[in-house]
Amino acid sequence: MSRQQHSIDELRDIVNRLPTTRNEDWKYTDLATARDISSRWLAAGRETLPLQLRDEVEAITGAVDANWIVIANGELQDPVDIEGASRLEVAPSPGSALAELNAALLKDGLRLHVDGELDRPIGILLIDGTEDTSVTQAYVEIEFAPGASGEIIEYHASKGNADQYANTIVSVAVGDAASARHLRVQNRAAAHIQTGRTSVSVGRDSVYTMSGFDLGGSLVRNDIIIDLSAPGADVSFDGLYLAGEGQHIDNHTRVDHRVGPAQSRQEYRGILNGKCRCVWNGKAIVHEGADGTDADQANHNLLLSEKAEIDAKPELEIYADDVKCSHGTTVGQLDEASLFYLRTRGLDKRHATQVLTHAFAADLVARMPIEAAKDALSSVVEQRLAELLDSDPEAFS
Amino acid sequence: MLEINNLHCRIGESEILRGLSLSVNAGEVHAIMGPNGSGKSTLAQVVAGHQDYEVTAGTVTFEGKDLLELDPEERAREGLFLGFQYPVEIPGVNNAYLLKAAVNAKRKHEGLGEVDAFEFLKLAREKMTALGMDPKFLNRGVNEGFSGGEKKRNEILQMAMLEPTLAILDETDSGLDIDALKAVAEGVNALRSPERAIVLVTHYQRLLDYVQPDFVHVLSEGKIARSGDKSLALELEERGYDWVREAANA
Repeated sequence: MSRQQHSIDELRDIVNRLPTTRNEDWKYTDLATARDISSRWLAAGRETLPLQLRDEVEAITGAVDANWIVIANGELQDPVDIEGASRLEVAPSPGSALAELNAALLKDGLRLHVDGELDRPIGILLIDGTEDTSVTQAYVEIEFAPGASGEIIEYHASKGNADQYANTIVSVAVGDAASARHLRVQNRAAAHIQTGRTSVSVGRDSVYTMSGFDLGGSLVRNDIIIDLSAPGADVSFDGLYLAGEGQHIDNHTRVDHRVGPAQSRQEYRGILNGKCRCVWNGKAIVHEGADGTDADQANHNLLLSEKAEIDAKPELEIYADDVKCSHGTTVGQLDEASLFYLRTRGLDKRHATQVLTHAFAADLVARMPIEAAKDALSSVVEQRLAELLDSDPEAFS
Repeated sequence: MLEINNLHCRIGESEILRGLSLSVNAGEVHAIMGPNGSGKSTLAQVVAGHQDYEVTAGTVTFEGKDLLELDPEERAREGLFLGFQYPVEIPGVNNAYLLKAAVNAKRKHEGLGEVDAFEFLKLAREKMTALGMDPKFLNRGVNEGFSGGEKKRNEILQMAMLEPTLAILDETDSGLDIDALKAVAEGVNALRSPERAIVLVTHYQRLLDYVQPDFVHVLSEGKIARSGDKSLALELEERGYDWVREAANA
């Protein structure tokens, strides 16, 4: 396949077809700013000076012992010399305008083939930072061969205040009897926008465990799409989103149980402070014949400010008979009794709040499946949590 | 040390304390008794600073400071401790972390540096052993999955580590078996000193067999209906609370 060149008019057309809030799946998340950034960037000739990102790259890759691959502003850095890793020229563009945009503008895609047992996690750092308005695409394809096992860290970061929109697609195929552990961290700069799709297909008797942490960004949309087409699959994924003043974080998950027996479990938790909005939409579809399905989904939210908003929506569609499905959603404030108890022990309101929010997040950090990244993740979550509490000082007056 | 004068307070529309006055001096142990609903726990919560209770009249001073002007955490740092009737379970918050944070908050207020982590753990383990608590409770979530007795011991442990000037223990004896009761009483007695005061809020007099009070007060309908020495508790045990209520209304 050779790379298809798109005319500016074709690119504009794709940008104009990005989803709008008239689309039911996008009704809470308005991509108007992403469209605007894309249009201006196209009009300006699609070029902008990259920022020096060396310090940020070193800080992130130095914190976790892993084999790192760095993609900066959409370009693979240094020759990739990790076994099974190769550059991809072309991304597929099935179905959506976001995928078309990704395929049309992709500079360097990445393919990872995991065979046997990885002795060290593979880290993929996707980092952006430019002097002026920019749009970047990332496409990563990860394949676990049958029986393979390994850990993948996917870290999204960015730098600077210029308008920036990143559109990423990650596709994971877990082969039969394989075991994949996946950590996804999104810690972009406060002004930046990201749309990201993660599609996962899970083979027979395989295990896929994922933890996602959304810590940064102004407007973030994640689509997590999991396809269970072989019996015996065991999927579990967690997500933590921390949203402060001005942030919008939308997680749409979809799990298709096409055959049974198989199990999927997901738990998303959010901590929101200040004027911000989060969305969790968890769809589970148990297709006809997928008997023996066990699907569980949970979403819990802690709202620290009256200005914070969460739209939480579980959606179960069941077309098989012998299934076990459950879901639970909670939205609450900090427990007043716990807060008072801690204050009578001398902790001020901010400290007590920090302790309780930390406890709310700690389970998901503890459950994160990649041991080598635990300390680094824990400290970045901790730091972000402290910033979050300070983003709306009214909450502690 | 603690001066409560004509305290009125309500929660929502219902007035619970109706002109309560109480004076507690350093070195004293007071027992506050009374039937359910007489306002005992409300008194403890109001003194600790619970925001749901609205003080409509009266004053509360602690070592000369207007207590009602202070946030709960400020009261704690000034040396006030409330042992809860129903200690809250806080999963995910490590017991040792809370103990240390509490001790450090108070030390900071007193202009002292943070405690040495090693010394702190050593001291905590000693106090736990004395209270009959397994030191492994240090690494559990605060009161998480603790039995009733374990929760109460944990309250006493916090008190022992914080060494408050004034400890108010709200029904710390309720739901305890005899061993736990003795352990808790020993913890309270260990704190007794000429510089400190202790207020025991209790429904039954059995705790008072182990912690001898200097004064006993009976609360009825939001104020102190009768005060006396330890013999009053015994008399109550014999004659019931109706006797006090009738005498107060007579």
